[in-house]
Amino acid sequence: MITVDAVTKRFKSGKTAGNRAEYSGDHLTAVDNVSFVCRPGRVFSLLGPNGAGKTTMLRMIATMLKPSSGRITVAGCDTVDEQEGVRGKIGFLTGTTGLYARLTPHEIISYYGELHGIEKRRLEKRREELFFTLGIDGFANRRTGSLSSGMKQKVSIARTMIHDPEVLVFDEPTVGLDVVTSKSIMTLIRGCRDQGKTVVFSTHIMGEVSLLSDDLAIIHRGRLLFCDTFGKFTGGMSAKTIEDEFIGMIEAGEAKA
Amino acid sequence: MKIVYIIFKKEMKDMLRDRRTMFFMVFMPFIAIFLVFNLTMRMGMEMENRAREKVMRVAVISQGPVPEFMNLLEGSGEVEVVGPITDSEVRPSLESGEIDFVVRFTNDFQSIMASEGTGSVDVYFMGSVSENEGALPRVRAIIEGYGESLLQRRLGDRGLASGFARPLSITEKDVSSARARIGESIGGMFPYFIILFCFMGAMYPAIDLAAGEKERGTIETLLISPASRGQIVVAKWLVVTLSGVCTAAASFAWLFLVLRFGSPLPREMVTGVMNIVEPGALLLFLAMLIPLCAFFGALLLSVSIFARTYKEAQSIITPLNFIVLIPLLIGIFPGIRLNWATALIPLLNISLATKEIIAGTINPVHLVEVFSVLLVLAVAGLYFCSRWFRREEVIFRGA
Repeated sequence: MITVDAVTKRFKSGKTAGNRAEYSGDHLTAVDNVSFVCRPGRVFSLLGPNGAGKTTMLRMIATMLKPSSGRITVAGCDTVDEQEGVRGKIGFLTGTTGLYARLTPHEIISYYGELHGIEKRRLEKRREELFFTLGIDGFANRRTGSLSSGMKQKVSIARTMIHDPEVLVFDEPTVGLDVVTSKSIMTLIRGCRDQGKTVVFSTHIMGEVSLLSDDLAIIHRGRLLFCDTFGKFTGGMSAKTIEDEFIGMIEAGEAKA
Repeated sequence: MKIVYIIFKKEMKDMLRDRRTMFFMVFMPFIAIFLVFNLTMRMGMEMENRAREKVMRVAVISQGPVPEFMNLLEGSGEVEVVGPITDSEVRPSLESGEIDFVVRFTNDFQSIMASEGTGSVDVYFMGSVSENEGALPRVRAIIEGYGESLLQRRLGDRGLASGFARPLSITEKDVSSARARIGESIGGMFPYFIILFCFMGAMYPAIDLAAGEKERGTIETLLISPASRGQIVVAKWLVVTLSGVCTAAASFAWLFLVLRFGSPLPREMVTGVMNIVEPGALLLFLAMLIPLCAFFGALLLSVSIFARTYKEAQSIITPLNFIVLIPLLIGIFPGIRLNWATALIPLLNISLATKEIIAGTINPVHLVEVFSVLLVLAVAGLYFCSRWFRREEVIFRGA
């Protein structure tokens, strides 16, 4: 479970942050008083245009950034005070996550497994399982620099899941991937949900949202515009498509600002 | 410690597979040392030989005959007498290279000689031609030989002994040991090369391990692993420091091998120098490099983690090369000595200390001061780097 309670994130200067959520003086508010809960066995989709504050939010959940105010807990651990506990229970995957080009998938997965303190025999077993499930066996000993984007993303998934985390965060995981690889990632995310894991999924691709979401939050300029079940979102739609409804919400948010 | 070791092991494996890093760590020092100590030295010696063996074309301008001087010139076997030329032809002849030297006796030379005065002789040459610089002492020696014979004739005419006009004979006796002379002459050059390579050897791993990780997007995966920022920094810093030390050791080995087997210097001279320089002195020099590399590692890693990309890190670090060069160059100058004040200046202190270690004149108090300064710098650098690595605006700058 993830609980996000009244979280705000400000950066000292706009120049140091990629997101352009909200400027105020020499500060940039990337996330502004956001609260939500992601429950086990459900996919929580975080939706928003570029620069809305999605990545900043997910980085705070993954302990890479500290909230300026508010509190986040992941599987019962505070992301500021119990970072080690959080990192042992979370898997984080982005569409732009890189791999060490001069290492093989076998070496990379072993490396992260060792960092998570997995005992050698258990690590070997877990690695074999993941390689078989994801179809990595055929290129497990090739340097990742020579692999295709799809192959690399499979290795990234294996890296994310090597320690069998109870919480999984996917930040635009299908960016730049072909349809087949994207579909396999969608299947994997559904599989994680079915295993009872807490899944946070960030995207701006509407098709993926409707395929996966159990719960949905829409974020714009760092503020939550909507946060409820996906069913309530579609049930209350005034537009014909999810896409149009989303655009309508963003435009309404712009008008308020 | 286990996590530090896991990251260190992985970073080492990754680095050893990087051809560019390995090139700068191992082969670049060899190429540079070989070029400097073989080709450049060979060319220098070749130029020196050519100047020494060159048959100089000399023209003489004199109002009256100077047969004795002409005999000395022709008899030297080093000169081809050309001419005669006039005053107006001096510059064009020298500029065109037809003549190397013009010896011009002043118009009143004959009358001054007759009255036993001091005559003037002007030697014209093109100083911009490096061979002439080397040949000038030979021309000067012939003219001085002529002057000596004139003096002896005057003394003979008066029945005076040849020592009459030379009451003193000066013999210079250098009492410094060969070791001290070597320390002064090559002691400054030695750290100049090794430290420069040391910096370059640490530079590429530092860029790859921080800015490179940021650019490739692998830093995030490490930041969300159970490794703390402190553990990540220490592991990376150890790799960068070790790279610097290894590059220094490789440069050292290349320097030895090139001097021993690939330099144009006479074998006896190289062996003589190597016998004089004590192994303990070299070990002490290498020991000084360890805290220096640790400081370089922290400095380079801090700069690298600040950069958004590999290219940006390179563009920030490259000017640092020149900053490193300045104190090392100052250390080569003669006359600058290691004292309590110079021992406080990083790099210059190593350069000066190396001179004195090789010469065997190092003051132990100064040596302790140099080590202390380097250790303080290394610890402060690591502390800063570790704090720097924890700052979100540094890690996610522009991300």
